[in-house]
Amino acid sequence: MDQLLTQFIGALRNADIRISTAETLDALSTVELVGYSDRRLLKDSLSLVLPKTLDEKAAFDTCFDQFFSFGERLSRPPGASMDFDAALSGDAAGQAGNGQAGAGGDAQDQRTGNARPGAPRQQSNTAGTTERDAGAAALGGGEMSDPQSQLGQLLVRGNQMEITIAINAAGRQVNVHEIEVFTQKGVYTRRIMDAMGHVELQQEIARLTDSAAIPERRRAVDLTHRRDWLRERVRDYVEHQFLLHADVTGRRLREDLLRDVRLSALEQRHHRMLQDLVLRMARRLISEHSRRRKVFRRGQLHVPRTLRRNMKYDDAVFDLQWKSVKVDRPKVFAVCDVSGSVSAYARFMLMFLYSLDEVLPKVRSFAFSSDLGEVSELFARTSVDEAIAIALKQYGSGSTDYGQALADFRRLCLDEVDKRATVIILGDARNNYGDARTDVLKELYDRSKRVIWLNPEPRTMWNTGDSEMRHYSPYCHQVEECSTLAHLERIVGRLLRAVA
Amino acid sequence: MADVPQIAASVASLQQHLEAHRYICSAQIATAVYLAYHLRKPVLIEGPPGVGKTELAKTTAEMFELPLIRLQCYEGLDEAKALYEWKYGKQLLYTQVLKQTLDEVLQGAKGFAESVKRLHEFGDIFFSAEFLEARPLLKALQEERGCVLLIDEVDKSDHEFESLLLEILSDYQVSIPEIGTVRARREPPLVFLTSNNTREISDALKRRCLHLYIPFPDIELEQRIINARVPSIPPQLRSQLVRFIHGLRDLDLKKVPSISETIDWARTLLLLHADRLDAELVSNTMNVILKFQEDIDNVQPELRSLTEQATKG
Repeated sequence: MDQLLTQFIGALRNADIRISTAETLDALSTVELVGYSDRRLLKDSLSLVLPKTLDEKAAFDTCFDQFFSFGERLSRPPGASMDFDAALSGDAAGQAGNGQAGAGGDAQDQRTGNARPGAPRQQSNTAGTTERDAGAAALGGGEMSDPQSQLGQLLVRGNQMEITIAINAAGRQVNVHEIEVFTQKGVYTRRIMDAMGHVELQQEIARLTDSAAIPERRRAVDLTHRRDWLRERVRDYVEHQFLLHADVTGRRLREDLLRDVRLSALEQRHHRMLQDLVLRMARRLISEHSRRRKVFRRGQLHVPRTLRRNMKYDDAVFDLQWKSVKVDRPKVFAVCDVSGSVSAYARFMLMFLYSLDEVLPKVRSFAFSSDLGEVSELFARTSVDEAIAIALKQYGSGSTDYGQALADFRRLCLDEVDKRATVIILGDARNNYGDARTDVLKELYDRSKRVIWLNPEPRTMWNTGDSEMRHYSPYCHQVEECSTLAHLERIVGRLLRAVA
Repeated sequence: MADVPQIAASVASLQQHLEAHRYICSAQIATAVYLAYHLRKPVLIEGPPGVGKTELAKTTAEMFELPLIRLQCYEGLDEAKALYEWKYGKQLLYTQVLKQTLDEVLQGAKGFAESVKRLHEFGDIFFSAEFLEARPLLKALQEERGCVLLIDEVDKSDHEFESLLLEILSDYQVSIPEIGTVRARREPPLVFLTSNNTREISDALKRRCLHLYIPFPDIELEQRIINARVPSIPPQLRSQLVRFIHGLRDLDLKKVPSISETIDWARTLLLLHADRLDAELVSNTMNVILKFQEDIDNVQPELRSLTEQATKG
C-alpha cells in the first residue's frame, strides 16, 4: 500500500473532504498510472478522483500544496545539506576573519566554497550563539574529536535524508499526529528532540566544553550549532504536522464544545463558526430527509385506479396500480419570542429553519415581543443574517406579552393552520403576569398537526415566577427544553421524521 | 480509423488532438479524458451552463472516431426510455401472424395442462433479444467497437433514475430479468455525465465517477477558444471582446454570459464588420450576450466604463 498516498488522504479527510475506500483505491490506480514525477499532472489527476464538490476541490488544492511542499523539501537533501554546511562554515569563515584562522579553517572554506555567505539564517544562527563563539573564537578552526553520542554522530555525518528519517521516526514515536492546539507545538518539539537523544547530546556538549583538549572544545561548538539547526528543523516538522492534523482536530474540538454550549452564552466572535456549524447540521438533515417524498406502499392494490387505467385494454387487467402515499412537506409556522432574554435563541432557530428550505419550503415565521408580525417576507427578500437583524430590531423592543401575541397569530393565520401544519413556539413563557390566553393555544392545538413549544430555560426553572409553562404545556403536543444547537438539531430532525 | 491508444498516450497528446478538433481546453480537462480512458471510469462534469460540458463529450467521440450515444435526461425519465423496452407491437403482431401455427402446435393436445406444456417447449421466444428494443444505455453496451455515452443534464432526472445508473456506471452491465445480465462488449463505453447543479447529485453516483468541474476559462484561454471557433475575427477585436465579457462576468447578473455567447457575439460583430468595440456597438448588440431584459437594464449604466476598460489595455 502506498503510504504517502494514504497519509495524504488522511490529511484530506481531516480537512473535511469525504473520501470513501473505493475512492482511495481509485486514487491508488491513478497514481500507478500517472506516477509522482509530474507534480502538476498528479494534482490534476487526484483532484478529479478525490474531491467531488466545488468546496472540496478548493480544500483539496490547499491541502495538496501544503502536503506535497513538505514532501518536496524532504526529497531535496543536497541543497538543504549545503545550506546546513554553509551555516556552519559561515561561522568558520567568521572565525577566519578574526585573523585566527588555522589550516582546518581554510580547508573548511574550500570545502564549501560555493556557499552563499551572509544568508539570513546563517546570521541568525551566528547571532544566537555569539556568546559561545566568543569563547570558541579563541580555539580557531582545526581538527575536532569524534562525537560519542548517537545523535551527535548523526548530526556530524550531516546526511539530510538520514536526519529527516530520524525526525519522522521520532515524530511517530511521540504521536505527533495527535497534536490538537497550537500551544502544544513547543511540547512536541521538545519531545521529539528528547526522543532523538537530545539529553545525551546535551551532556556530551557540556562535557566537551569543559574538556582541556582543544579539538574536543572545537567539537562542542560545532555540535551546538548543529543542535540548534536540528531544533529548527524539528520545529518546522512539528509546524507541518500541526497544519495537516491539528488545525482541523482543534476546530472539531471547538465545534463539539459549541454544540453543547448554551446559545445565549456565546460570544460574538463565535457566531461565524456557529453559522457554519448550523449550515452543516442543516445540510445533514437535508440529505437525510430529501429522499422521503414518495413512499410507495407496495402490496396494496389501488382498485379504482387500476380499473381506470385498464379500460383501454378492454378491461383485461394488465397494468396494476398500487397505492402510494405522497408525503407532504411539512408546513411550519415558527412563532418566536424576540425579546431580549430569548432573542439569541430565536436567531439560531430561524437560521436553522431557513437553512432547511430545501426540505422545508413552507416555513412561515412570526416574531413578537408584545405585538406579533410576520417576518417570512423579510427572509425571502434578504439574507438570513440580515433578516434576523431586522426582525430583532423591528419586534424586539417592548415587554413580552404572550396573550397578545397568540391573539395576533390567531387573527393573522388561523385559517391556514390545518391538519398538516406544525406550529413551533419558541419562548420562555414569561408573560409578566399578563393574561395567558390559553384558549387560543387550545384552538391551535385542536386544528394543527402538532404544536411544539421550545423553552430555552432549563426545565427546573419552568413554572417559577411569571412563567406560564404549566398553563401552556397541556395544549402542546410536545414541550422541549431547547438551549443548545444539539437540542435544536434533535428537535428539527424529529420534526422532519414525524412528517415522513 | 483513429489510433485511439496513440491519441490517449499522454495528456499533452490528448490536449493537442482535442485542439485539432477545435476544442481548446485546459490541462485539467485533458487529464480527465486521459484518466477516463485509462481507468475506464465515467466522468461527471459540472460547471456553469455554456462552458462546453456537452461539447467535450461530442469532441471526444469525434476525436476517437467512436459513435456518440446521447441520453437527454428530464424529469420522469424511466427504465423504458433509458434502458430497454419490449416491442409490444411486434409481439402482438407475431402472435396474430403465428396464430395458425400455434393452432397446429396445440392440435390434439388434451386439456389445458398439455397445451401449456407444448407451449413451454418453444421457450420464451416472445421475450428474447429479437423483441427487445434497446434504448440508449443498452445500446451503448452493445456497441461492438465501444462508444461515447453522453448522459446529459443528469441533475434533471429523478433520484430513481440515478440509482438505475449505478449498475451501468460501476460494472458496465445491466440486468434484464427475462434475458439475464447484458455486459459491455469488448470495449466498454466512455461515459460522460453532465450536470448543471440544479440539485445535488447523490454520493453513490459521485463515488463511481471522476469529478470534473469546468469553470469559465481565463482571458487567455477564452481568446484561444474564440480564435479556434471564429478564426476570421481580427485579433484586436477578439481581445477586446473577451476582456469585455470577463468584465461582465464580475457583475451581479441573473445569467452571466457563457462561452457560447461569447462565440455568438464574436460572429455577430464579425458580421457587422466591426474592428473594435465602442459603447454604441456594444449597446446595440447587447441582446446577443445578455438574455434577460433586467440584466440589460442593469448593465446599461456601466456600459461606457466597461467598454473603456476592455479597449484600454
